[in-house]
Amino acid sequence: MKKYIVRDFMVPISEYATVAESATLYESVLALEKAQEDYAKNRYSHRAVLVMNADKRVIGKLSQLDFLCALEQKDNNYDRAFNLSHLGFSSKAIASHKEQHRKRTPPINEIYEKATMSSITKFMQPHSHEEYIEDTTSLDIAVHQLNAGPYLSLLVTKGPDTENIVGVLRLADVFSVVFNAMKKYESTITDRTDTG
Amino acid sequence: MKELNTLLDRIIQRVNIDLREINYNVEPFVRQLVTSDQMTKFYAFYGITPNHPLNLNFKHSNLSGSYFLGKSRIANSLLYKTDIRGDELKKKNEIFGYKNFKIPVNKDEGISIDDSFLIKTLVHNFSHDPETLETFFIRDTISTHYANIHGSPSDGCFLGPFSTVDLTTMRDCLIGTYSYVQAGEISHLDIKPGTLWIRQPDEFNFIYRYPLDQLNEYIYFTAGRLPQGILMDFTEDRKEAFQRVFERVDMETTLSVPSNASLDRYAVVKPKTRIGENVLVAQRAYLQNSSLGKGANAQENCYIINSTLQGNNVTAHGAKIIEADLGKNVFVGFNSFLRGRPNYRLTIGQDTIIMPHTIIDNRKPLSVPPNHLVWGMVKDEKDLARNSLPLNDFSKIDSHFSTGNMLFEGSGAAFVTAFKNRIQHILEANGAFFNGTENKGHAQQNQNISFNIIQPYPDGDKEGLYPTIHIRP
Repeated sequence: MKKYIVRDFMVPISEYATVAESATLYESVLALEKAQEDYAKNRYSHRAVLVMNADKRVIGKLSQLDFLCALEQKDNNYDRAFNLSHLGFSSKAIASHKEQHRKRTPPINEIYEKATMSSITKFMQPHSHEEYIEDTTSLDIAVHQLNAGPYLSLLVTKGPDTENIVGVLRLADVFSVVFNAMKKYESTITDRTDTG
Repeated sequence: MKELNTLLDRIIQRVNIDLREINYNVEPFVRQLVTSDQMTKFYAFYGITPNHPLNLNFKHSNLSGSYFLGKSRIANSLLYKTDIRGDELKKKNEIFGYKNFKIPVNKDEGISIDDSFLIKTLVHNFSHDPETLETFFIRDTISTHYANIHGSPSDGCFLGPFSTVDLTTMRDCLIGTYSYVQAGEISHLDIKPGTLWIRQPDEFNFIYRYPLDQLNEYIYFTAGRLPQGILMDFTEDRKEAFQRVFERVDMETTLSVPSNASLDRYAVVKPKTRIGENVLVAQRAYLQNSSLGKGANAQENCYIINSTLQGNNVTAHGAKIIEADLGKNVFVGFNSFLRGRPNYRLTIGQDTIIMPHTIIDNRKPLSVPPNHLVWGMVKDEKDLARNSLPLNDFSKIDSHFSTGNMLFEGSGAAFVTAFKNRIQHILEANGAFFNGTENKGHAQQNQNISFNIIQPYPDGDKEGLYPTIHIRP
């Protein structure tokens, strides 16, 4: 694994789904859909879209989960209102309370309309320091970094400058490399046993 | 002053140790809440009456602006403008009933405060914990502006501003700003701001949570700053009137007070106020252009302004009633804030229960019907429909019920009965039903109180500390 480096397995930034920070949620999802079609040859499709500022710097990402969360009507009081089990309420009563809350939420078409017109910056997740990795780093270090998050992808930089993004290293691609390496090793062991 | 600062450090450390599991550091919230100057500026005072045991013991403490009545012991503590009102403590040979137990009280109950910092807090009622019948303890506890510790022994707790813990023993708990808890016994809980929680295990469980964005307008508390919001502004605007009352020795009032009613010498009464028979007005209450009908009461830190109370009204500790007309037997719970407007008055029908920590702030006329239960934030008719229920309908709940941010589980009938019994008990204790010979209560027994003042060291290392004092008959 040490002989492999990140650069060999990343998706170049030019092939990744990106949108401007001024984009709406709907435009971002369209960009993601298009990137998936363009990348159809790959067995692992895009699961996130990167958000770029006016200087073409990556300022965040929107995952499929972020998109679904955007459609949920959770306000700041949601968690406060339903975190009740430690105060002696039964799960049945809490479920009923949630159902009452759900009934008060607007119709689904209104939710779609409101969410899709919202700015992507409202729902995107900024990258943490641990989500960057240099393109010359060995793949075993990348595996460790993905596990430590855990993260579904890492932003690959040219050198230590985190503003110089050259690609995205995805968990699915790393998994594929590791799994194939393991299969190769196993077949070597089997061959030795057969001949021994 | 050196010893006072050391004492504050010691209290902060002890509370932080108790709250370590909740991972809460009280220091940034507490350090600047009361300046050293304030801690040395005001005298403390205590009441003497023939009706309450006199046994006060102060040791290594600051008592600035605080008031004491009954049996209490204060050690290694800072009490700033706090009322320790021991006129409902259990007496020797009384029988305390708890479930199927009938427990004899072996000696007069006393309030015992150790290693605590209480700011503008009211301590009242008696310990409801059968495990500590004779001692209402408050240990390693910090409480902030206008908190109520009501019949609630406390060990290792922090109470945010305008919070109330009622008839509940608490250990290692954080009680958020403007939260009300009545749950019997709690430990290691982080009660979030704006929580109204009333629980009687196996009987009922009620919770309401304020929308924080709305609550913050009324009360907001963050590290390094004094509490802010409408509730603080409201009390600060009337602070000067209290300063005049506390500075003068010879307070005389021209107000006519019936012989069976009680108006505390440390209450503020502004013109055009009328006090009916069997009325109780406690210290630090504020009355202005209002009428209190027979058997009504205004407890500590209550404000009643431009309002009419028909009679037998309980205005519990810290409640505020402005531009409102209340029918008979209306109960207004702890720290509630009811505000109509001069041209848009608030009307509350008789026998209605305004639950503790309710905010009604209407900018159009608003009428709460009789026999209702009201809770939470109410600004208009729509809020009222969501946050109230006729008492009869509430009594019919037998499993669970949810509306708005409120969830109830258990027996609605048991809940309503418990509330009604409690209100009846409060009226009895306050002397609302005195008939000239029987049913005496605080309104009759607290009429003739002598007040003595005590003061701290004026300078040096001990500046602000009161000498060890033991006051007995």
